[in-house]
Amino acid sequence: MTASIRGQLLAWLLGALVIAGLLIGYSAYHRAQEDIDELLDYQLKQLAFSLSHQSVASAPMPPGLPLPEPDFITQVWDKDGVQMFYSRPNLAIPLRPRPGFSNVEWSHQVWRVFTQLDGFRIIQVAHPLSLREEMATSLTRRAVMPLVLLLPLLGVGIWIIVGHALRPLSRISSALRARTPSSLEPLPQQDLPEELVPLLGSLNDLLQRLNRALEAQRHFVADAAHELRSPLTAVQLQLQLLKRAASDDERTLALTRLERGVQRSTRLVQQLLTLARQDPQEPRTDRESVDLDRLAREVIADFEPMAQRDRLTLSLESQGPLDFRGDSESLRVMLGNLVDNAIRYTSRGGVIVRVRERDGSVVLEVEDTGAGIPAEERARVFDRFYRVPGQKIEEGSGLGLAIVKRVADRHRGRISLDAGAGQSGLRVTVELPAGNS
Amino acid sequence: MRVLLIEDDAMIGEAVRTGLRQDGFTVDWVREAEAGDAAIKAEAYALLLLDLGLPRKSGLDWLRELRRRGIRIPVLILTARDAVADRVAGLDSGADDYLVKPFDLDELSARLRALLRRDTGRAQPLLEHGGLSLDPATHEASYRGATISLSAREFTLVAALLERPGAILSRAQLEQRLYGWGEEVESNAVEVHIHHLRKKLGADFIRNVRGLGYTVSKAQ
Repeated sequence: MTASIRGQLLAWLLGALVIAGLLIGYSAYHRAQEDIDELLDYQLKQLAFSLSHQSVASAPMPPGLPLPEPDFITQVWDKDGVQMFYSRPNLAIPLRPRPGFSNVEWSHQVWRVFTQLDGFRIIQVAHPLSLREEMATSLTRRAVMPLVLLLPLLGVGIWIIVGHALRPLSRISSALRARTPSSLEPLPQQDLPEELVPLLGSLNDLLQRLNRALEAQRHFVADAAHELRSPLTAVQLQLQLLKRAASDDERTLALTRLERGVQRSTRLVQQLLTLARQDPQEPRTDRESVDLDRLAREVIADFEPMAQRDRLTLSLESQGPLDFRGDSESLRVMLGNLVDNAIRYTSRGGVIVRVRERDGSVVLEVEDTGAGIPAEERARVFDRFYRVPGQKIEEGSGLGLAIVKRVADRHRGRISLDAGAGQSGLRVTVELPAGNS
Repeated sequence: MRVLLIEDDAMIGEAVRTGLRQDGFTVDWVREAEAGDAAIKAEAYALLLLDLGLPRKSGLDWLRELRRRGIRIPVLILTARDAVADRVAGLDSGADDYLVKPFDLDELSARLRALLRRDTGRAQPLLEHGGLSLDPATHEASYRGATISLSAREFTLVAALLERPGAILSRAQLEQRLYGWGEEVESNAVEVHIHHLRKKLGADFIRNVRGLGYTVSKAQ
């Protein structure tokens, strides 16, 4: 029985009752003793007085009479010490010449003795002290007994009441058992004891967050499955055309197209994996010091061949080393995606990467002289798999800016899009607060 | 057979156009619903091949709009959505057939031919008339029991005439069937093909109706 609330409550409550019973018994015993002492002392005294007002026969009682033996012993002496009367001939407590109460040990018992002198007689009344104790014990027993008898009944009662009070707990647990990853609706909160409301509140909160995360995951998988079909369709069709090709020229063309289809599929898969790795649910604590100037130079070096192939200039504007605390791999992916996009959507001119500091933030900026994005499309381009209508780029995965957004979010940054200085291309500005170490 | 392909994915559009041309279809390709509207007004298409994931306007909405406007061209939907509910929605919006990506080029051609047969009220897959038998699936032709060889354009031309015996097709209509956008129309091409066909089928098989066009006689 490991810490059952019911068992613990039962044990503690019954224990407390037993202790209370013992205390009650103890105090009742003492009260009874005091009361009995007072009462019986008074009785002894009254008895002695009543004897002194009687003219007692001077002759002793004839011995051997079969009288019931009273608890009291009464003895009378005259003033010369001659015993005039005794109630129990076989029990003769010696005369106590001092008047008043006293305890006398005699004949293996302790006796309570009251002695009265009334001028010409000495009257002595006594009874054994054990009598008083018996009375006190019996009185105490009568006071405590009902409690002892009630104890098992109380135990059963406590067991039932506590079980009843705990029923909401088992209701919650069976409701929780019914929850599956596909049904994470909140637990019912009505008819709950006050103590359980915060627990259920937190549980529901957790369920809700779990549900949102799962929902996002499901959407992502559904989107990904849908988006993967397009490049796969292209590849399958291109492969069939290759098989059909009748001449060398046709075969070469079909092969070139097939290769592009495969590259596109590969890129989409890579981007999907990158996006999945940048999961915003996953807390990142591994912040390190990153020199953004150096990072930008490395990214530019990576994309230089691509820019040269497309006859574009790729340049960096930076004021030297700029330290930032963040996740260098994510930041590299983000900047890489921005530069990659800029080169893809620019047919003439160039791409400029800027790294600078502004009001306690670091700013990464990529500006191109390409076709730009119409203002009304700018809000949507961060959605997964969204492509600007009319763009002629066929290899786009629709994920580049979604990845950029996610990395910026994870660094609590802000992204803004505009047409740039030339009012024709696209300028993406990512502002990352520096004080987030 | 002139087919309009509405597909925004450049690679898929390119490959479908190439493949269908190889199978004897004449294919025009647009990438948005708006351009599709313009194409339908300008040309007579035997079939529409519609991708549902179009930018700006959903393919399904556009299809419903077409049907409301009373345009009854058979439509085959190409889509990446494969759930039963999606297929039902597609067919209920007025599509005649549904093909899920990724698909096979040969299957696409076969389904297009089946749709065309249904549209012209023919049950059997062969086009037959006056001793000439054409198999659109294999592009095989036989005349009076003997196999003859026809070029792709000759096949398309005579198939167009055989679809509706007795109907007169103008030279422009025939050119439309033969050439998609961007394909250069050779001058006198129709006359040249007719000339070759007459050599293979005899001078009387295709009649020239002066000033109107060409026809194959209804009863032979």
